[in-house]
Amino acid sequence: MMAKDESLRGSSSDPNPNPNPCPICLSTVTQESYLDHCFHRFCYSCIIRWSNVSASKQLCAQSSLKCPLCKTQNFSIIHGYDGTSFQQHYFSKSVGNSEFFSEAHRYRLKCYYTEPGDLADKLHVSRYWKSRKYLQQNLFLPGWLRREIQALMQEEDVDIIMHHILGVIDSLRRDWLNKSRISSEMIQEELRMLVSEAVRPFLTGRTERFVKELELFLASGLSIDAFDKVYMKHLGWKVVDTSEEDDDDRHAEEEPLEHAPAVPYLYILDEDSDRN
Amino acid sequence: MQASRARLFKEYKEVQREKVADPDIQLVCDDSNIFKWTALIKGPSETPFEGGVFQLAFSVPEQYPLQPPQVRFLTKIFHPNVHFKTGEICLDILKNAWSPAWTLQSVCRAIIALMAHPEPDSPLNCDSGNLLRAGDVRGYQSMARMYTRLAAMPKKG
Repeated sequence: MMAKDESLRGSSSDPNPNPNPCPICLSTVTQESYLDHCFHRFCYSCIIRWSNVSASKQLCAQSSLKCPLCKTQNFSIIHGYDGTSFQQHYFSKSVGNSEFFSEAHRYRLKCYYTEPGDLADKLHVSRYWKSRKYLQQNLFLPGWLRREIQALMQEEDVDIIMHHILGVIDSLRRDWLNKSRISSEMIQEELRMLVSEAVRPFLTGRTERFVKELELFLASGLSIDAFDKVYMKHLGWKVVDTSEEDDDDRHAEEEPLEHAPAVPYLYILDEDSDRN
Repeated sequence: MQASRARLFKEYKEVQREKVADPDIQLVCDDSNIFKWTALIKGPSETPFEGGVFQLAFSVPEQYPLQPPQVRFLTKIFHPNVHFKTGEICLDILKNAWSPAWTLQSVCRAIIALMAHPEPDSPLNCDSGNLLRAGDVRGYQSMARMYTRLAAMPKKG
């Protein structure tokens, strides 16, 4: 109590201690965040907490938040601005059971925390390149890409990125059709390089793995469902019915020890993990 | 819990600094419990509450400021939006229109504004609300003034 009295007296003599505090905690703003319409500023953890409280009062999932200061409707929080890039948190996602993020998305995201092992051999990736199967268009690719990017970015609307990647792959394929003499190794390398380049701005640290997964999917020649089944069987995961289901009680049985992900995957799904 | 405590300390400091700035509000924190506060507010001028000093009791929840504080009048007041017996206040910002940007100080200001601008259509005190709804402003004012004199002014002699 003594210490508190000290600090209170100390600051009351201070004429202007905190010129622009976070309106929620009244302390100096940490992890500066802005609402996307009114641009009012808050601590990231403060405004996330408030958006959760505010969402819990709504009967249906809310996709906007009234600014605590001016009541303007906002749709996302802009945060993590480092001079060149920023992150955007949409309110609809904080509910956790948002409609687009299905069980299948969860499983795909989880794969990125697991070693794929010798799946490349099982799916005959090298044969895919050698036998020049890449010259055929893969009709399942757009759907697979959309789900994959949605899972990785946890964003619903990823069509622009999907078409961007499809465009890169299609133009490569047209290129290869004309140049029959290039070795399959070079073609493989070219695809890896150009796709990496195209997705890196969006997937950053997950780029290399994404390209590997893309290769696996292309090489498998399977439909999305069949690919999922092979993949999960390979990892020893119980095949998840991709229809919506309550997943809470199933984690344990899904993950046999030898394939336990290095990082508990729920951690990254939980936007609120910084709550103390 | 920790967040609410930290914020209440900030407000405490702010109150100490602003004491002179708003002479109509005097907020005091309980000596031993930072979640209990009382406030003395002056009845706004040109209202039947002018000249009275009203005491409010604040009970702050642990989730504050994500949850609003509970506030009630300790001083008896005749007002459509204040329960005559319990002192409970009907004010949207203390219920579903709460925002964490409000402070105890600004809640006091909102209550002073409510005293000056009653909302007879959502009454907690029906007698008071009915007088206003019937257009009997004089009747309302004289009742309110009487209770201000009885309960909110120092006893003379």
